[in-house]
Amino acid sequence: MSPADSIDGQPFPSIADAARSGGPSAIEQEVMDLFEQFRTPLLRYAVTFGLSVHDAEEVIQEVFLSLFRHLQLGRSRKNLRGWIFRVAHNLALKQLYATQRSRAKTAPDWTTAEEQLDPSPNPEEQLSLAQKRYRLLSVVDALPAGDQRCLRLRAEGLRYREIATVLGMSLGAVSLSLTRSLARLIRADGR
Amino acid sequence: MNKERHLSDEEMLLAADGELSTHRAAQVRAHLTECWGCRARMAEIEGTIADFTQAHRQTLDPQLPSITGPRANLRARLSELASHPSARTWHSLFQFSWPLRAGVVCIALFVITIVGKILLDHSVFHRTMSGAISFERGAEPDPKLTPGATRRVALNEVCSMAHEEVVSQVSTPLRQEVFQEYGILNAHPDDYEVDYLIAPGLGGVEDIRNLWPEPSTSKTWNAYVKDALEEHLHRLVCSGDLDLSTAQRDIATDWIAAYKKYFHTNRPLSLHSRLD
Repeated sequence: MSPADSIDGQPFPSIADAARSGGPSAIEQEVMDLFEQFRTPLLRYAVTFGLSVHDAEEVIQEVFLSLFRHLQLGRSRKNLRGWIFRVAHNLALKQLYATQRSRAKTAPDWTTAEEQLDPSPNPEEQLSLAQKRYRLLSVVDALPAGDQRCLRLRAEGLRYREIATVLGMSLGAVSLSLTRSLARLIRADGR
Repeated sequence: MNKERHLSDEEMLLAADGELSTHRAAQVRAHLTECWGCRARMAEIEGTIADFTQAHRQTLDPQLPSITGPRANLRARLSELASHPSARTWHSLFQFSWPLRAGVVCIALFVITIVGKILLDHSVFHRTMSGAISFERGAEPDPKLTPGATRRVALNEVCSMAHEEVVSQVSTPLRQEVFQEYGILNAHPDDYEVDYLIAPGLGGVEDIRNLWPEPSTSKTWNAYVKDALEEHLHRLVCSGDLDLSTAQRDIATDWIAAYKKYFHTNRPLSLHSRLD
């Protein structure tokens, strides 16, 4: 499998184009298109911080309002997917600290999610798949927070330099972190 | 590539993720066709990535609500933001609690004080600085033309900015206006950096009152040194070690003095004042 293609280099309308075609509405549409593309991956990422779905959804709304202001001011469009994930990462952390101050951290509800999985045709296969998934995710939950985030951003299709931007790491550190995590996952899977 | 040397897990992962250079990727492919052991390990790595990605999505996706509601919500909020940007800002000012409103008023008073102080001290500044080792022509802006300008900004917003926004670049049309204002004709692009006096990462705005042509060629107090100060102040503000209003005031009043104050030095640190 290969990560999704980077959105760098896509022909975004320029500010001048936006102004000619009715000002902010062109940027609004661009933001809505990016929301369509990234809302679910971002929401998955934010939920793994331990945020409630409601809080995570609000974080994502803030990300795209910030993106609108960013584009409206004619700021850099370089590595925009990295920018979007980085802002989501920072806002999710802030929301998490705010939530932790007011109440105990809520762990993501893996059990409920497991129960909601679509049943596979064969009960034995279903059990085996669920066990495998549980085993993998247990290993991931036990990884250091930085390694978990690296792996989850990779699972959302981000390139290494984008992950490096989001987490403020070097490219080498991203690749080492992913290698380390995968070695653990392979061992746990008994491959 | 030496056929005896097997591939490391890291190289295989980089290859699987398409992160190797074309040349190196070809070498890795050539090795894999000849080495059964590495091929088996590669299959394990790719299989594990696929399994984890599937597990990650299938476990979380059932918890996520449909995009329909959030999409409509965002569309409405964007539309409001786009159609009434100034009205919204003004209106939202009065939705804050009293302490926050008092804070906003304080920041406004600070900015007024800074502008007043800069104008008042202008003549004194030139007298005192003319003989000092730190003075370089153009290293500091003309306070009449560039008193600094800020917007009301939440700490949350400033601290969620990406690095490139904290020391953001200025758009080309505005650069030309700034050169005109300072009477600089036919400027070579490499000679000046049109810089923010108060950086966006500290609540500064892209406004001609907050921009000046900073000579890139200054040997000591140049644009690179000021970028380092902006990043340092941004970090202090976001870690809660410095008030945003103090950072704005210090950098607008005299950024060189601010550099000396915050880096505890009389000269730019060598790693900050790089010149190409």
